[in-house]
Amino acid sequence: MHASTHVDEILEVVVWKTTELLDAKGAIFRILNLKTEQLELYAAHGLGKKYLEKGPVSSYRIITELCRQNEIITIDDIMGDPRVQYPQEAWEEGVRMILDIPLSLGNHVVGILRVYFSEHREISKDKKDFMVAVAQQCSCAIDKARLIEKQQSLYDKLVLHTAKMSAIGRMAAGIAHEINNPLAGILLYSSNMIKKVPEDGPLKEGLDIIVHETIRCRGIIQELLDFSREREPKKTLANINDIIGKALNILENEFRIDHISVETDLSEEMVSSFLDENQMEQVFVNLLINAVEAMDEGGRIRIKTRLGSEGKCMKIEFEDTGCGLPKEALDRIFEPFFTTKAKGTGLGLAVSYGIVQNHMGDIRAYSEPGKGASFIVEIPLIQQPPSEETKGFENGAP
Amino acid sequence: MEPLKILVIDDEQVICSGCRMILSELGHTIDTCNTCKEGLDAIRKLDYHLVLLDIKLPDSDGMEILKIVRVEKSEIHIIVMTGYATIRSVVSAMRLGAFDYLPKPFTDEELIASVEKAMKNVAGSGKVQ
Repeated sequence: MHASTHVDEILEVVVWKTTELLDAKGAIFRILNLKTEQLELYAAHGLGKKYLEKGPVSSYRIITELCRQNEIITIDDIMGDPRVQYPQEAWEEGVRMILDIPLSLGNHVVGILRVYFSEHREISKDKKDFMVAVAQQCSCAIDKARLIEKQQSLYDKLVLHTAKMSAIGRMAAGIAHEINNPLAGILLYSSNMIKKVPEDGPLKEGLDIIVHETIRCRGIIQELLDFSREREPKKTLANINDIIGKALNILENEFRIDHISVETDLSEEMVSSFLDENQMEQVFVNLLINAVEAMDEGGRIRIKTRLGSEGKCMKIEFEDTGCGLPKEALDRIFEPFFTTKAKGTGLGLAVSYGIVQNHMGDIRAYSEPGKGASFIVEIPLIQQPPSEETKGFENGAP
Repeated sequence: MEPLKILVIDDEQVICSGCRMILSELGHTIDTCNTCKEGLDAIRKLDYHLVLLDIKLPDSDGMEILKIVRVEKSEIHIIVMTGYATIRSVVSAMRLGAFDYLPKPFTDEELIASVEKAMKNVAGSGKVQ
């Protein structure tokens, strides 16, 4: 039972082995989630299709009652016992006696192992004890398998997310190139024509707008390229606490205007590390701007730094009391062009994600609607200078 | 300063025409071509002072032109243009002897400034004939 890592497989084994060991006609296994009142798992062995297709042979009420009593119940009177949902069909199936064995999982989920016999018989206390032991073992095995399934699903989700972000990054780089070429034509001509039209007039005004908007597009595309991880970080020794201080200075005015209080808990353990100061500052400014925009007047931002992973990484946490985000938004928050703001480009967090990835770090978001949001940035603590080869590129010259 | 003989190599005709219009107004002589092969033929046949080179061309990598020019006509100044500028690509181009780098899109003033910088360098090296 414990050898399997899939819940379905465990249940199949349980119903099959129980039937075999008790020399029974068959068995079914069913687990209900009492919180959602939904059928969660199901397995059957030795019973005809006709009977099984009839419907759920053990109702919510029967299962909860069984678990409340927490003991094995024997049903001898198939046609008369209210616990039998479809007595006629059960009788026709050749069922003459039923054993209901309760099964508890955690606090909310309960289940039933129902064993069917073709004849009345005495079930010894030993056998009943054995069945209780099977049920207990079954709970443990299901718990273990569920945990493994959950881990697997988290891992799959992570792999999918990484693959998606990398594909978006490549796409962004491709788009950037394709768009920069036509933009080059527009900017070259418009910036030149502007000098050849009368100083006052609609042509000048129109050309001004074209030049301005094209330069704006250039900025957006540069941000896209930043996200696509093609801008290698220019790493120097810097203290993350100082960078947070600089980011806070930049936004000082915004905090004052919106009456936002900022609380910092910056650990003195944060020693200098090799990182791109400007890029990290950009990440923190982006996170702070988002926090400011998510809050009404009088909100609160908390920033906390600490060392993690036994001193191998730096954790920086930004917490706000803003409007929070629904799960659907949270899943897509780092995708380029995804935004929850009316006037956002959807690039701030995408660029931040790219920068953190470039630092071999990680950025995660936690939020619930109405309950604020928190972003955790994790950056490895690097006290040795980067390799010579990388340094050559970082200096931007041969 | 003496006007220059300039070759623009870009598969985007609009960019070739734009550069021609802007630079010819300053008195320079401009030729344009759209492929790596045409570009190399022109460079070998005529004496240019300056080449404006897109490093992403349809028939070959513009970096190839940089390599060949460095060996065959090292006196030519090359300004590299690209719509996809990364530090790595800039460094590679500079290592191959590019004089300057113009990330697309650029304004006429940015183009003129880069060409003027090249002009001073050409004049300084006494190569304007």
